[in-house]
Amino acid sequence: MARRSLLWILSLAALIVAYTLVARAISRPDVVPPAEDIAGAFAALLGRGHQLPASDMPAHHHHSSDQVDTLTQEGVTLQASLAVTTARVLFGLVVGLPLGMLMGLLMGWSRRADDYLHPIYVLIRSVPPLSLITYIMLWLGHSEAHRLIPVVYAVAVTAVIPTYHGVRDVAGKYVVAARSLGARGRLLLIKILLPAAAPAVLGGLRYSIAIAWMTAVGAEMLMAENGMGNLLVGGGMWSSRLQTRSDPAVIVVGILALAAAGWAMDMLARTVSARLTRWAT
Amino acid sequence: MPSLRVRRGAVALLALAVVYLIAAQVGRGRLPDRIWMGAHYVENVQLLPTWHSLAEEGAFLLESGILLDSVLVSSGRVFIGLLLGSLAGIVLGLLTGWGTRVESLADPWVTLFRFTPALALLPLYVVWFGYGEASKVLLIATNVAVITLLGAHHGVRAVPRVYLDAAASLGASRWLRFRKIVLPASFPSIFNSVRVAAGLAWVTIVVAELIDARMPSLGYLLALSGAYPRVPTMLIGIATVGALVLVFDLLALLLHARATRWMGRAG
Amino acid sequence: MTANASPPLLEALDVSYTYSGLTPTRALEDLSLEVKENEFLAVLGPVGCGKTTLLRIFAGFLRPTKGSVRCAGSSIDGPGWQRGYVLQEQAIFPWMTVRENLEFGLLAKGVAPAARRAVSDQFLGLIGLSEFESAFPKELSTGMSKMVEVARVLATDPALLLLDEPFGALDAQTRARMQDALAGLWERRRKTVLFVTHDVEEALYLADRIVVLSPRPGKVKAHFAVDLPRPRSVETRFSTGFLAVKRKVWEATGPGP
Ligand SMILES: Nc1ncnc2c1ncn2[C@@H]1O[C@H](COP(=O)(O)OP(=O)(O)OP(=O)(O)O)[C@@H](O)[C@H]1O
Ligand SMILES: [Mg+2]
Repeated sequence: MARRSLLWILSLAALIVAYTLVARAISRPDVVPPAEDIAGAFAALLGRGHQLPASDMPAHHHHSSDQVDTLTQEGVTLQASLAVTTARVLFGLVVGLPLGMLMGLLMGWSRRADDYLHPIYVLIRSVPPLSLITYIMLWLGHSEAHRLIPVVYAVAVTAVIPTYHGVRDVAGKYVVAARSLGARGRLLLIKILLPAAAPAVLGGLRYSIAIAWMTAVGAEMLMAENGMGNLLVGGGMWSSRLQTRSDPAVIVVGILALAAAGWAMDMLARTVSARLTRWAT
Repeated sequence: MPSLRVRRGAVALLALAVVYLIAAQVGRGRLPDRIWMGAHYVENVQLLPTWHSLAEEGAFLLESGILLDSVLVSSGRVFIGLLLGSLAGIVLGLLTGWGTRVESLADPWVTLFRFTPALALLPLYVVWFGYGEASKVLLIATNVAVITLLGAHHGVRAVPRVYLDAAASLGASRWLRFRKIVLPASFPSIFNSVRVAAGLAWVTIVVAELIDARMPSLGYLLALSGAYPRVPTMLIGIATVGALVLVFDLLALLLHARATRWMGRAG
Repeated sequence: MTANASPPLLEALDVSYTYSGLTPTRALEDLSLEVKENEFLAVLGPVGCGKTTLLRIFAGFLRPTKGSVRCAGSSIDGPGWQRGYVLQEQAIFPWMTVRENLEFGLLAKGVAPAARRAVSDQFLGLIGLSEFESAFPKELSTGMSKMVEVARVLATDPALLLLDEPFGALDAQTRARMQDALAGLWERRRKTVLFVTHDVEEALYLADRIVVLSPRPGKVKAHFAVDLPRPRSVETRFSTGFLAVKRKVWEATGPGP
């Protein structure tokens, strides 16, 4: 275990050193920003960079670029953006998971429901949620809806299959056993079906989380004036988005923040599912 | 007589189409056709286009060649991205899954990589690889690589111990065990991840094709039809992407069925 | 007893094994055991007494926490085909056909395809599964799969067979058939066999000698020589000699003093 963490730290250090060396060698801060630029962008995005008098950070040069300037002018900060995106992800999970699980439960439990619903599910699943944004906007106007609905949609669609398999394939034999022991109705659902399907469902949960983050960021990149996606593309109206040259330092900061947040949420999900399915493995 | 399953599926899909037609008919004249878009009004919006206007628009898109060209260009990008990405992802996943030493070395890199929403890389790729084809394809490839890496890694990790022990006991070298035990046993998991990744590749391209947005491409077709807005085009675009995802998936399933004839008997 | 007739092929000296974990489990304690060349030794013991652990140590998958194990005079380090091991769990490779399963060990040895085929033909006939040669294991019953697993190990022609309750999942009739098949094979091929079971009758019917293990942590509790004439048959199972030894073993394994 100790050896493992040592290797982990070594490898991480190697990653940073290798990156610094590559950045040095290329010496094009506009393409591969050196570590101090990334730190500078980080400080600026936390809303500190501009307030700090120059004498406070004498060793570092003050990081500044079009994207950083635009973002700070608009009052965009890393923490606020991350909070907004996290809120959207959570909303998507809270609404989308029950929807998807309900559908999966229905399809996994009843052969008849499966026959009718599966083709429709396949159609729904095939449509990339991000392609729906403008259509949703036409219906519901320029609002929060077209940022939230794609996330809900993506989460729900990904939550169906693990639940379906958990209920149909994994729980099947236990249901047979429990039924012949006389279990029915709620008892069957709560004591047999849900626990038996739980590992599959919870395994799918981690995947749903990843999808939720991706969709939320994508929707924000396309059409939102706040959140991490907006920070990454540097604001602007959507038609002109992705047309201006970005500052890689900002993007690296954004990506690291997203990776950290995604990792934290995944850890949480893993801990929770480990608690809930202690009997497994 | 087709099976009960097929008949029920057909009934469901038919019902869906009928519901849409009725809704479109009822909605005509009742749904708003002047819509506030945040900055300006747009006129003559058909929120639920009738069957007729969908057919008309579809005919136009087909005759002008726009749709076919877009399909070809976008599918080409998805295909190349899928190929490159799954190749890289599977090789890395097998490596990190099978080599215990490699795994702990690569762990932080993989963690960083897997929790990066791949779409977030788009602006960075534009800076690195420019506005051309490379950025789009590489973005897809990256997204695909993340998913397939995890699929291969976990597939290898989930190979039942008994098979590896039995093979070792029969004198199989590490390499033979990898080839004859690890590869086939992890195949279903790897394949599944490629299937999932193919779906995600289509999500990615909708965004990726907004860089250097240019026809023909399905992503830009969707964006344009949204900007006007022209709902029939938009719906046809969405349906086309959906159909392509479906086709990719069916092809994958066919391959899968052939490659895993040995599977059966749950548990 | 025929002391010092031949050196032991397999030997365990004061072997202890403890599974580390949150609550360490002592599976074996100071166990010593010898298996002579061409001997058929059955190991009997209650559930969870460390039989599988002992076999995995001999197979080379576990290293004893104390003591030593040797095979043909040299210490065991890692698995190898010379000690053919049939796992207690189902371990037939489901993605290979029956024939491919049978040929796997030969493939690992680098035997040429034609020679592999000849051997697998022979074993397909022996276990009576010729018509299943290109079937995937999902088409076999549990018992048939086990037969393939035993044959798969025999096909590499190991000096020693380590069998972990190979017939545990079979019905009495099939079990008897499989026992006859194994006994016949052993009489013709004369291999050294270490056979784990918790069925007293099975042990008596097959073995030259029986070792009874105590409950966990396992150590040798008793030895019995089985001097019944070979080849053995249904007659043997009901002979007075058989029943006499059976009674002795039964008393040793039972909960008595
Ligand atoms: N991987 C493991 N980790 C921890 N403890 C183990 C492990 N494998 C076995 N044990 C423990 O070691 C003891 C002996 O196990 P073993 O499998 O050798 O028993 P066995 O005699 O083969 O039993 P059975 O007749 O049921 O096959 C048991 O008490 C078991 O709980
Ligand atoms: Mg055992």
